Amino acid sequence: MKKSGLSKVVIVVICSYLTIPLLLTFIYSIFTEWKDILPSGLTFKYYKEILSDSYFINSVIRTLMISAIPFVTCTAVVLLALYVIEVYHPEWDKYMQMLCNIPYALQGIILAVSVLSLYVSAPYPFSNRFVMIVLTYCIVILPYIYRGLKNSLDSINANRLIEAAQMLGATKFYAFFAVVVPNIISGISIVAMLSISIVFGDFAIVNIVGGSYYQTAQMYLYKKLFVSGQASSVIIVVMFGLTLILSAVVNLLNKRWKKSREE
Amino acid sequence: MFKSKRYLLAILPFLLLVIGYELVPILMIVIRSFQPQGHFGFTLEHYQAIFQKRLYQQAVINSIIIAVISSVIGIIIAFFGAKAANDSNSKWRNFFINILNMTSNFAGIPLAFAFIILLGNMGVLVLVGKAVGITSLENFNVYSYKGLLLTYIYFQIPLATLLLIPIFDGLRKEWKEAVLLLGGNSFIYWTKVAIPAILPSILATISVLFSNAIAAYSTAYALLANNYSLLPIRISEQFVGDLVQRKEFGSALAVVLMLTMIISTMINNYFIKRSRGGASL
Repeated sequence: MKKSGLSKVVIVVICSYLTIPLLLTFIYSIFTEWKDILPSGLTFKYYKEILSDSYFINSVIRTLMISAIPFVTCTAVVLLALYVIEVYHPEWDKYMQMLCNIPYALQGIILAVSVLSLYVSAPYPFSNRFVMIVLTYCIVILPYIYRGLKNSLDSINANRLIEAAQMLGATKFYAFFAVVVPNIISGISIVAMLSISIVFGDFAIVNIVGGSYYQTAQMYLYKKLFVSGQASSVIIVVMFGLTLILSAVVNLLNKRWKKSREE
Repeated sequence: MFKSKRYLLAILPFLLLVIGYELVPILMIVIRSFQPQGHFGFTLEHYQAIFQKRLYQQAVINSIIIAVISSVIGIIIAFFGAKAANDSNSKWRNFFINILNMTSNFAGIPLAFAFIILLGNMGVLVLVGKAVGITSLENFNVYSYKGLLLTYIYFQIPLATLLLIPIFDGLRKEWKEAVLLLGGNSFIYWTKVAIPAILPSILATISVLFSNAIAAYSTAYALLANNYSLLPIRISEQFVGDLVQRKEFGSALAVVLMLTMIISTMINNYFIKRSRGGASL
């Protein structure tokens, strides 16, 4: 019993260190002043201000867009490649796995300066900042998308489904995309939320590759940081709330999916 | 014959993406790091400059130091955290894991901001320090190496603990019972059985933490901007921003950053092999 008491103390101490900065940011966002030990002037006016600021709303919409487009692109690309590997060349999987794991080691900053310096003076579609950001994000989320899709395919035994569909007269391509893919939709939606929340929290890549060409919520926050503390804390709370919703959905889907696997 | 291989077209987009935005960019950055500024050729001058000019030397050293210290402190805290999670009932454990998951999303600029309102010039803890008379709190400067280290430790803890918890689950209760039955105590169990058994995984986790910290950009950028020399910041300013852009030199800096990660992984693998060798007798 003594031991579990000590464990509780350790957990409480660590959780305090982790949650105090978060909590403080929230408290900061709902008071007008904090010049004494306790804040004063409870207010929600900063929330009203920020949430009615069309620049902020637009930057959030832009962030969601720049998070969703790489996910859709990367998932389509990986699914097409996995079709070839699952159906025709399972022996190529080790190479695909290797290529998909490289971004883990690259880290955002190296990838960002590499892509920027290669394409900044390239001919049109390549030098477009939006195209550059989207494709860089595709590489950032590639390891997660590959892992998620591959695990889903393995868990439903894709090959046997394809064989069965073929016996019923379907082509391999049809069997993969019309029979197998609908069966891993829940796996795909987990990957979707995960990769969207990764891109949602990014500042390094969009700041380096995008420069000032593409304003996301993180860029908006960085600008506000030196203007108003209250406004910054409101933006942080709103964005963190959105991230939490995303990860709550991932957890929910995960649980449901595991349950349906067990049945 | 040609028609029957048509399915290979499906793998083409993947290859184009990986070649165009992963392999070629990295290859080019390595090649460019050996190019003289502005014209074609071969040179080592950029690497010489990095190791001779104090500004860049300092950036490399600062980055390595902050990555090592934050990884070591992070892994120690995570060790006790994961042990506590392992010893607790499922209610506490789930609560802890939820907090870790939640705070693992709190990084970058928001994290820097939170530490500024906590320990900045008008920070809450600074005010408390003033009121109570704790000078070390009162005079704490968050816009410094120490402040940065606190934020790095902050983002290492959730990552490290979430990686270590499943590893602690691998420790079997029977091992501890066996040690106690043979007359050993808890201390002997941890130093002779448990830690050697999980040491390879702990070392692998340190490697992840090191890469995570040495390439971190946003937190340092928001907290210190140019006031403290760090490798990722020095790299980015060679490619964007107000300074004269020096892509070739920036590429060499990026290669140095990659090398630190490769070397740390190699050192780690060496120790992992050794610790495995020791554990398996």
